[in-house]
Amino acid sequence: MNAPASPVLDIRNLTKKFGEFTALDNLTLSLRRGQILGFIGPNGAGKTTTIKILVGAMRPTSGTATIAGADCVRDAWRIKRLVGYMPDSFGAYDNMRVREYLDFFGAAFGIPRGARSKRIDEVLETTGSGWMQDRYVEALSHGMKQRIGVARTLLHDPEMLILDEPANGLDPQARIEMRDLLLKLAGMGKTLIVTSHILPELSRICDVVAIITQGKLRAFGTLDQIMRDLRQKRTFEIQLCGPAQVEAAAAAVREALPVDEREGVKAHATESLVRFDTAKNDTELAAILAALVGRRIDVSQFREIPKDLEDAFLSVTRREAPAA
Amino acid sequence: MIPVLRREFLGILRSPRALAALLAAAVAFSLLILARWPAGGIVDLSGTGSRGAFLVFAAALLGGVLLLVPAFPASSIVRERNQGTLLLLFNSPIPPIGIYAGKFLGVLAFAGLVLCTTLPAAAAVYAMGGVDPWRQIALLYAVILVVAILSIAIGLLVSTRATSPDAAVRITYGLVFAVAFLTLCPHALTRGTSGLFATIADWLRRLSPLPVVMHLVGQGGAVGGGLLEKDSGVWQFLAGGLGLAAVLAVATILQLDHRLFDRSRDAGKITDDRSLWVRIVRRLVFLVDPQRRKAGIPFYLNPIMVKEFRTRRFGRFHWLLRLAAGCAVVSLLMTLAATNGTMDWGVETIGGLLVILQIALVVLLTPSLAAGLIASERERGGWSLLRSTTLPGWRIATGKLTSVAWTMLLVLAATLPGYLVMTTIKPTMWNQVMLALVSVLLAVAMTLALSAAIGAFHSRTAAATVTVYVVLMILYLGPLVIWAFRGDPFGEQVVRWALSITPLGAALSVIGMPGFTQYELIPIAWRIAGAICVASLIVYALQVWRLLRPE
Repeated sequence: MNAPASPVLDIRNLTKKFGEFTALDNLTLSLRRGQILGFIGPNGAGKTTTIKILVGAMRPTSGTATIAGADCVRDAWRIKRLVGYMPDSFGAYDNMRVREYLDFFGAAFGIPRGARSKRIDEVLETTGSGWMQDRYVEALSHGMKQRIGVARTLLHDPEMLILDEPANGLDPQARIEMRDLLLKLAGMGKTLIVTSHILPELSRICDVVAIITQGKLRAFGTLDQIMRDLRQKRTFEIQLCGPAQVEAAAAAVREALPVDEREGVKAHATESLVRFDTAKNDTELAAILAALVGRRIDVSQFREIPKDLEDAFLSVTRREAPAA
Repeated sequence: MIPVLRREFLGILRSPRALAALLAAAVAFSLLILARWPAGGIVDLSGTGSRGAFLVFAAALLGGVLLLVPAFPASSIVRERNQGTLLLLFNSPIPPIGIYAGKFLGVLAFAGLVLCTTLPAAAAVYAMGGVDPWRQIALLYAVILVVAILSIAIGLLVSTRATSPDAAVRITYGLVFAVAFLTLCPHALTRGTSGLFATIADWLRRLSPLPVVMHLVGQGGAVGGGLLEKDSGVWQFLAGGLGLAAVLAVATILQLDHRLFDRSRDAGKITDDRSLWVRIVRRLVFLVDPQRRKAGIPFYLNPIMVKEFRTRRFGRFHWLLRLAAGCAVVSLLMTLAATNGTMDWGVETIGGLLVILQIALVVLLTPSLAAGLIASERERGGWSLLRSTTLPGWRIATGKLTSVAWTMLLVLAATLPGYLVMTTIKPTMWNQVMLALVSVLLAVAMTLALSAAIGAFHSRTAAATVTVYVVLMILYLGPLVIWAFRGDPFGEQVVRWALSITPLGAALSVIGMPGFTQYELIPIAWRIAGAICVASLIVYALQVWRLLRPE
């Protein structure tokens, strides 16, 4: 058994080339047991290539990837036991009921019939899908299919779940339910890799985030770490008591900021608001506030606008865009 | 209408199979004429050679249209519905009749293009002499055009009702071949009798293009023991075919509206949760209730095989029982009708018809089950899931093959009562029946292996099904066409060689079917079938292995 703190996923210098094209370039990252990794990147960034290598469906050109000590290339059979994989397409079969569908995959994983029936009940309960066990798979809605897809990945009780776009196409209610389900799975000790384009959803559940563009890992760590690594400018808002002093406040802020940050100062008279981005620290910001008060500008609030995963992602992709 | 027509026509032309069809037609018809062109500049004044060439030309033209055309309309509407573009068309100003006309004319234009590639060959046949340009060649083209129109009308109607392109392709080919060949069967059984049934059978026969084409090439009455008689009714066929196509077109247009999308999701009602009374009734009505909750897959069964049975609409056991019962009834009826009504047929002819029934079942059913074994998984995303399981490749490959093999064996076993009646009438035929059954079993094995191997190279079920049907029709019908023209233009050796390709000729020969008795085809036909079977299985296994290994 691996120690709880030891990485369950260990990717080192993973590279995949298709002829001249490099789909994945020297990817290195690791993940601890019970963590949720948000794996994000624009279309064609290399996410699916990475996932395919991890589930043993593709061979890397160089580098290694291990899951719970099993090599993704050499120990393909063990990897299948260790990983539950949900691709972005559901893989429905016609004329098959949900229970038969799960029974088939349980049998495909060699689970004995008696244990299989119990296990199907368990995964249906975990995913909250027990009520649809007699429904035909092809007649399920998209949200229901996603739940059954997760139930299918849990059948053989894998250590790691790799879910490709599990929230794609779900309505808000189903998205919330999916989010709760993923948190529940992490709570059960499963390690999850989740790709998604719905970044606010990921930011709420992920312990760590990996941002990948053009096959290269651009950022990896907790959201806070990524923000720091990106030297992200913070955004502030100054709420005034009335619109009359908005221009004066904006001028005072511009004076206090370095030249390259002055253009970013925006005055919104209708909202009695001044907004600006800056890399200044808290002490320097206190001086700006003091200057405003010194000029008898009536400040009702001086607040930081929190940054999220979406901002980090955009920051990374914009930074890499010129290189593309 | 015009945008739909343009998109449909261009869409067909852009597909690789259309290009392959056009190239194949052009090359095949050029080779045909080259082979029959008089050598050394000597013209055959009697016209025998040109008439022989015209025979082969007409048969190839009819076969080509029957094999190539139905695939395109069959998937046309159902694919659009599944992709969501049909709804966009319904929300456009184009009326249903315009959508239908666009699709119909688009496929017809392609069929016209295929026919155009055969015109040089037709001109060469005419140049050889002995063939009337209007009463034979032009009329043949008119008949072929009506066959194409009828095939398109059937395909489009099926396409509005089917739920998947591959199902639509299967049903369309089944119906087109039923119109072309099965319509002759009632007439064959009622020939020489009178009454309402005989009249209906005679009218039904006039829907088939076969007697008409045979008449046009001057072979009426010469083929099939008089089955294709002199009174071919060319004009009746043309009028009947166009009339039927018009009826089918109206039926299709009436269905082309938003009701196509107004289908509720199946609630998945299960018998186990219903009242005791309903459970008892269903137990009595269904021998095997499809709505009962199934037990888990036992360890001794291949899960892939069970999955294949459960996911096929006709793979569920209650359907298999119905199919088997239907086959048993047909086989017994054939034997009874033949022995009671037309004693002059003889037991050998009955045996021959049973063999043809069995092989027809094999050729029609096997591709529909086996062609999509791998392609359907790849098309619907199941393959990546199968790859992620711990099932070894050989279990996936054998599970899929055995699911079809069991079905076919069950269906064939249901036709055995006919043979039992036959051997009771003439016990000396026991050995012949055994040899014929071995030939039929080999035909099953060969057809299954070939269908699975060809289908495994496709990623779309509909394309896989069409390809397999075309290959099998050529393989099974080709030798029969060559046999039908034995003596002129095909020599004894060519016929013998052609009949050896599949076990059908061997089965007919060994059972003593009139016209086949002079050919000694066992064991060469068995060896060829065995070799094709083994080679196909190796190719299938290699392809499955290739698809399962990491990219």
